[in-house]
Amino acid sequence: MRLRLPLDQNFFGKGLVVLLAVPALLLPTLVLCYIFWQAAPVLSWGFVVGATESAGFGMADGIFPQLLGSLLLAVMACVIAAPFALSTALYYRAYASHRQQRLLMVMFNMLQGVPPIVFGLCGLVVLVNLFSWGVSLLSGAVVLAIVVLPLLVLNTLAALERIPQQYSEAGAALGLSTGAIIWRLWLPESGINIMTGLLLAMARALSETAPIMFTATVFSGVVWPDSIFSPVTTLQTHIFYLAQEGNDAQVTTIAWGSAAVLVLLVAAFGLLSRMLQKIGAH
Amino acid sequence: MTIVLVLGFLLYSSWPLIAQQGVAFIVGSEWYPFESLFGMLPALVGTLWAVALALMIALPCGVAAAILSAELLPARLRNPLRFSMELMAGVPSVVYGLLGIWVLLPLLESQLNLLTGRTLLAAGLLLALMILPTIMVLAEDALRGVRQSQREAAKNLGLGWNATLCRVLLPQAWPGIRVATLLASGRAMGETVAVMLVVGSIDRIPEPFYNFLQPAQTLTSRIGREMAEASVGSQHWAALLFCGLLLAVIAIVVSLAAHRKASVVV
Amino acid sequence: MVADLKRKRIVPLQQGVALPSSPLKPLSAPPLQVEQLTLQLGGQSVLQALSFTLPTQGITSLIGPSGAGKSSLLRCLNGLENHWRGSILVDGANVRHWRGGWDQLRRHIGLIAQKPVVFNASIRANVAFGLQGWRTRRRAEALIEQSLHQAALWDEVKERLDAPATTLSVGQQQRLCIARALAIKPKILLLDEPTASLDPRSKQLIEQTMLQLAETMPLICVTHDLEQARRLNGQFIFICDGRVIEQGACEQVLDQPQAIETREFLRWNVCDCD
Repeated sequence: MRLRLPLDQNFFGKGLVVLLAVPALLLPTLVLCYIFWQAAPVLSWGFVVGATESAGFGMADGIFPQLLGSLLLAVMACVIAAPFALSTALYYRAYASHRQQRLLMVMFNMLQGVPPIVFGLCGLVVLVNLFSWGVSLLSGAVVLAIVVLPLLVLNTLAALERIPQQYSEAGAALGLSTGAIIWRLWLPESGINIMTGLLLAMARALSETAPIMFTATVFSGVVWPDSIFSPVTTLQTHIFYLAQEGNDAQVTTIAWGSAAVLVLLVAAFGLLSRMLQKIGAH
Repeated sequence: MTIVLVLGFLLYSSWPLIAQQGVAFIVGSEWYPFESLFGMLPALVGTLWAVALALMIALPCGVAAAILSAELLPARLRNPLRFSMELMAGVPSVVYGLLGIWVLLPLLESQLNLLTGRTLLAAGLLLALMILPTIMVLAEDALRGVRQSQREAAKNLGLGWNATLCRVLLPQAWPGIRVATLLASGRAMGETVAVMLVVGSIDRIPEPFYNFLQPAQTLTSRIGREMAEASVGSQHWAALLFCGLLLAVIAIVVSLAAHRKASVVV
Repeated sequence: MVADLKRKRIVPLQQGVALPSSPLKPLSAPPLQVEQLTLQLGGQSVLQALSFTLPTQGITSLIGPSGAGKSSLLRCLNGLENHWRGSILVDGANVRHWRGGWDQLRRHIGLIAQKPVVFNASIRANVAFGLQGWRTRRRAEALIEQSLHQAALWDEVKERLDAPATTLSVGQQQRLCIARALAIKPKILLLDEPTASLDPRSKQLIEQTMLQLAETMPLICVTHDLEQARRLNGQFIFICDGRVIEQGACEQVLDQPQAIETREFLRWNVCDCD
């Protein structure tokens, strides 16, 4: 009898899988650690809330204006998109025929497949030039709203679908109208899950760069937009411009610092939605 | 409706160009805006190359990670892995752009002895990193969807782990993996800022065409780079909008193919 | 070095064991011998020091109330559960040290599940599924036909071997599962309530198949149906609460049960073993 080796034929299959999976296992940690390691020198409270533009182009002490611009854009986008998304989802669930449902589904899947930069282009053509809104907060917010719309609709639909069928049937059995069922049963029941979707949409809006590049942002010089028709600065585009700027040491650290803040912000929204989801599950 | 509007506006805006030059410029290989040469072929080829490279790298890795997570790891380790993947999916693309320009490019230059790291390979690697989470998460869901009884039936026939994987699990999870691949390629195609920072933006078809160590141009990077320079209403402007139209059409076709049967909510 | 030493130390020992007519493995070793089998799942003990031996051929009916551990026992026997204690000897060899590991053991001991599980492929491919190597699978026509004959399914499917297996009825699917298990020529066959929730005709066909198979190999059949056990007519083992309560020839146990628990179960279909 031969000496029994610990490796049978399956060992190679498993080994190959593990070997191929190694990048997937290591990269997330590696990427995050690298970002924060690079950002460590500048990360401080002063960096986040500092606003002095004295040092000139992008060399400011802080990124407060950019942070504010990013948040402002994301919030406005969600505020614009939410009513549309909610009404579409409710229509889909409550009134749409089977044919309409399929049509809506195909449309939103298509919309989600369209690259964000295409929406940016359209925004540039229609909003900025045709409507003469200029490069402005409003243009950017509308474009971003269209970008996050499909996500929001699909998430809201998923939230509504979690309501058990018997629930609505019980409501209908009490003689409630469809409108009453929506108001008094569906919305209270799925409110938290809809909020979860909203937070995810915020995170998405925060991480998009391409669509607002031509429609909403300028490099620097704006601390707080005067009106919705004035341009803003955002973290995303700030990082982008700094990256093109060159290899100057100070530029690099500021860029990494901004990146770290942005990642934290997006992750915070993601985590928040996750926590809400857990609360909603109970 | 929105979709029709979007496509309509793009077509309307790029009409001046089509009216003047026909549609032959789609396959033209020269892009010199100042001489009114708007060949789309270099950017198209560049886009396809970048996406293909990204898939070639991310697909094996992502599916392997999904197999590892769904079949081999104990449940205790599964959730952290999935969580880290979701975190990675959430990292904004511009941050990946930073990684690309300040980590990947120097690395490529020094390791491969290139004049410039700004190549198709860099774009492909960066895109691979970005679509890895999508592929892994969706493929894992697909693998988990295979019933436990199927696994046991295969085991009862004396099939080993390898055979079970290749002949039961992967064939059954294939529809899910296909959707994952298509969605991921759609995302890779539309990615703008990260690609723009590393691809080099030179309007040339790689010479010879399989040389991915040369700078190139993708549709998105061209739009991103030149949109600010083009004056409103000019032919250049129209050509760039046509790039957008082309991109949207390709992306929609891909996403329709992905959702053709299974309606997957991502 | 270490490996060398080990090999040297082992070789003389092995020579004693692996002689052509191995003295430790007499020809009369039962095909399956279970001793003191104990299994705990999730902190609950499912099998408690269970022992029995299988004859070289014939059907052994496992009877017992729900939750007695019958299915778990079968899963232990072919290694789907392997956290048990005690010993399972197949042809006198401990299954823990089976040549080629658990997978090879499962080729030796086939298991048919309660609900048929067919793979999403043609009928032909399903029968050949367990064969190793795609070349073998391609050239397995004769084997496929033979297995389908054995499972009494051939006449129903010979016209449409390439149709997807999911188009078969549940009873046909179950027989397909039996054919699939037979195609890899197991030496022992375990069946976990193979006829539960099947139509009478499929039930009858499967019983015939089992009786035929039992002429050449040992079968273990878990069943709820006392009449079925009587028809299968072989060894009878009554299990309750993870223990063997009574065993013996089928008719003898059914007609004159010795243990009080068996009597209770046969009469009222309830059992209180604690």
